[in-house]
Amino acid sequence: MTTSPPDTVMIARPSRRRPSHPHRGRRRPFEPYLLIAPTVLLVAGLMVVPVIIVIAYSLFDNVVTNQNPQFVGLANYLTILADPNFWNAVGNTVIFTVASVVIHMIIGVGFALMLNSKLVHKVPRVIFRAIYILPWIFTASVVAVLWRLLLDPSGVINYLLRALGILQEAVPWLGTPATALLAVTVINIWSGYPFFMISLLAGLQGVPSDLYEASRVDGAGLIRQFFSVTLPALRPILFSMALLDLLWTTQQFTLIWATTGGGPINHTEVLSTYTYKLAFNSYQFSLASTSAVLILLASLFVAIFYVRQQKKASLF
Amino acid sequence: MGKEAQRSFKRSRWMLGAAATVSAAALALTGCSSGSPSSSNNTNQKVTLTFSQWWAPEMPSGALQKIADDFHKGHPNITVKLISAPFASLQTQTISQAASGTLPDIVGLDGSWVNPLYKQGALYNLTDAMKAAKYDDSDLASQVAFKGSTYMIPVVNFVYPLFTNDAILAKAGITTPPTTWSQFTDDAKKISQSDGGAKGWVVPLGTTNPNGAQNDILSWAWASGGSMLKNGQPNLTGNADVTGAVNMVKDLVTSNAVLPGANSLQETDKVTNFINGRVGMMVDSLAHVTTITKGAPDLKFTVSAQPVKDGYSGTKGMLTASWGIGISAKTQHPAQAWQFIQYLMSKDTNSKLSTLANGFPGNKTSKPDFTGADPHFQAAFGIYQKSKPVNEFTGLPAADQLMTSFLTEFQKSVAGQESTSTMLQNVQAQWKKQF
Amino acid sequence: MSIAIRTRTKRNVGRVFIYLALLVGAMFAGFPVLWMLSSSFKSNANIFAYPPKLFDSSFSLQPYVAVLTDPVKIGYFVNSYIVAISVVIITLVIALLAAYVFSRYEFRFKSIIRVVIIGVQAVPPITLLIPFFGIMVGLHLYNTYQGLILTYVVFTLPYAIIMMTAYFDSLPRELDEAARVDGAGSLSVLWRILVPVSVPGMVSVGLYTFMISWNEYLFALTLTQTDDRRTVPVGIQLLMGQNNYLWNEVMAMSILGSIPVLVLFLIFQRYFIGGLAAGAVKS
Repeated sequence: MTTSPPDTVMIARPSRRRPSHPHRGRRRPFEPYLLIAPTVLLVAGLMVVPVIIVIAYSLFDNVVTNQNPQFVGLANYLTILADPNFWNAVGNTVIFTVASVVIHMIIGVGFALMLNSKLVHKVPRVIFRAIYILPWIFTASVVAVLWRLLLDPSGVINYLLRALGILQEAVPWLGTPATALLAVTVINIWSGYPFFMISLLAGLQGVPSDLYEASRVDGAGLIRQFFSVTLPALRPILFSMALLDLLWTTQQFTLIWATTGGGPINHTEVLSTYTYKLAFNSYQFSLASTSAVLILLASLFVAIFYVRQQKKASLF
Repeated sequence: MGKEAQRSFKRSRWMLGAAATVSAAALALTGCSSGSPSSSNNTNQKVTLTFSQWWAPEMPSGALQKIADDFHKGHPNITVKLISAPFASLQTQTISQAASGTLPDIVGLDGSWVNPLYKQGALYNLTDAMKAAKYDDSDLASQVAFKGSTYMIPVVNFVYPLFTNDAILAKAGITTPPTTWSQFTDDAKKISQSDGGAKGWVVPLGTTNPNGAQNDILSWAWASGGSMLKNGQPNLTGNADVTGAVNMVKDLVTSNAVLPGANSLQETDKVTNFINGRVGMMVDSLAHVTTITKGAPDLKFTVSAQPVKDGYSGTKGMLTASWGIGISAKTQHPAQAWQFIQYLMSKDTNSKLSTLANGFPGNKTSKPDFTGADPHFQAAFGIYQKSKPVNEFTGLPAADQLMTSFLTEFQKSVAGQESTSTMLQNVQAQWKKQF
Repeated sequence: MSIAIRTRTKRNVGRVFIYLALLVGAMFAGFPVLWMLSSSFKSNANIFAYPPKLFDSSFSLQPYVAVLTDPVKIGYFVNSYIVAISVVIITLVIALLAAYVFSRYEFRFKSIIRVVIIGVQAVPPITLLIPFFGIMVGLHLYNTYQGLILTYVVFTLPYAIIMMTAYFDSLPRELDEAARVDGAGSLSVLWRILVPVSVPGMVSVGLYTFMISWNEYLFALTLTQTDDRRTVPVGIQLLMGQNNYLWNEVMAMSILGSIPVLVLFLIFQRYFIGGLAAGAVKS
């Protein structure tokens, strides 16, 4: 049985965690390593190793479909960085990702608040929760097929818009360069927001109700309560979610590929479709790996930023 | 959720222990293995071969399995195990399997990605297999070869004739399907302008599965005896047939004679729109005759040859896609694998297979069995016998990328961003990089 | 009396607004799903008919019958459940251990490990496919449940760890300290104190993990070869052939797959209710 652990030193300090000093466990120095071991092993073996292989691929002229790969160093990086299609994909990815993340957050917070509201009776609450989570349950290829059906010029959305008089003629949403990126963004928002809603609902449960009471006693209305109690309490979760969504949306492939294949005239070409085409249309696996490494580098920045923020936040 | 959950919880308890332990997390029992343990060519040994294909769902339920069973009856030492693969991901899956050495013994292949497989060294040299089996290949209608050796044999061929909706054509005052480009263009425009809301033609320009370049644009050039290659190299600039085809399709798209939203339409949209009477004509796979008769039993339609360039009188080309077959280079039993292929290509089996699949045989001497079949098949077969089957993308390197660049530049040209000649120049430059 | 009436009126007006907003949201969320449901009852040709109708003359239960009477397809469902449930359990256990460490300990490689865990998530799976596949084959995990389960555990761990770490971070150390003063060791603190209080967080992580394992297609396709190991997304894709597309069965299979998940969600959602954490801190 374990006895009082290193944290004895910490107990004397005030309630906030203060991991500021490089502190090691006194009694059981191996404890953290043991507990983290399964994670590290799995991630190292099944994630880091393939990533290292991918990095290695990017340093050869071509792999897989080339039986004699030649080492070329950073030449592939120069090729990719000089490719205007790459930068087009970057631009589209940024637009697609930022729009998706922001609206995911807004819808997520909005729906979570609505579902959490005391004004809603129990049974409708359960029903609406079930409806709101629906978009998330379906696999991406089915979502793509469904939305292609809905957005077709002879599909139901165009039909309704024309019936309501909003449109004169059916618009091929996925086929028009001007609207294609918007369309896939909407599809992505639809299919992904429930996740944020769930996490925020869980977060909302953790906000102590006495904080609301206190602010109500102070005379704060609903809006004030939202900004002074709810938002600050949700901030850590919002921050984590936004960050993760950023990373995940960058990877979004099937939705875009199955609906537009990179879009009319590359208007919905994002990094994931760009990389896929390099790998399985052109069979340039090294170039595709190069693109992947570039994406990885960009996201490592995001990851480092996140970890730093977490460290700073814990100092308060 | 009783029993399943309990079973899986018990299982997961075991796995919990395994995962939580530091070391043995990755140890596992061997999963289902493909192919049987070593020992190669002793033909008296019981052998199980795996055959990955996407063909079974395209035929009546259980039909392909029956063919495999019949083979087993004739070769009791060889069992062929069918593995189904989703068609959309077939290319990714096959190349990944080849890269990790898990390619099944016998592989169903498509002409547009046989080239990278060959480059990977993943395919067995069929010419060697044929020599070892002393097989006379004169019956084979075609073979896909690289550097003089065959790596893929087309088993069933699917032709792409012109489908025309009799009622829609009649409404626009057209009595017979068009036979030349100018007739086709006029008819398409007439249909689009007539009452009823139908469009004349449908052309899928979507790049998810970029077959539109092959099936709906370049096929026009091929039908008129043209070629996009010269000595195996791209020859698009200054090519009258290709330029003519591109211009014709462009004209139809810009004059709204085709279904709207062409940029994101996919091959499957052709037949669904045809069935629903939204389009009067389409160039589509003959295999869809069954889809049409099932989906719209009252729809009267005609199957005819793809219209040719005005003034062309030579042999018509007929766009053909195939179900190809090959053997994995890493197979333990190449001789037995070849026996199965030989069986599939034999006169009677090939005939049976093509009939079941609504295609035409890859064996020159086989004839599909038309008894009781839809008369359109026989009509198409008649056209097939008088035409030259053609698909210039078979065996080309990075065929999908070639088609994608073609479509993207074509979309630009339709949007008015570049002329046809610039478009073809751009495509030619991009293609040269792949060759 | 009038104050009470005013408050009640304000409440009712608020109620109307909220319900209206909920309805609008429900249309956004639910209409496409309703369309999926309606398509699952139509004939394949009528799914694309114009003008589109919710329910038309070709209404039939045949697609559902086709899916439910096919033992191969039922097998896909079973496999998906086995894999998803196993992944949820394993991921939660490992993530809880890791989150505890990240939240309560300091040690040398902590930051690096965290950065790596978060960062590797962004590598496009399509490029990882071939190396990963090679490793799986090398470990003899091709076409096994274990292979898929391990794969999804690795995919879902980063998020699970991040979420549970954030959750633990929000739980004050007094909880730990109180238990330790009573003589509890680290693992006891984790399992007996922190975990019961983190149930809402665990439920949301569990749901997420289940969803990912349930809906993932690319690796499910690549790492399985035979029907006895394939999962629902692969099964759905198999319905879309080269010439023969069974749209209505695709929709039906999708709906059938979602019903149990929805039921699961309805069962577990009550763990969202109530500020369990709030209660624990106060006492």
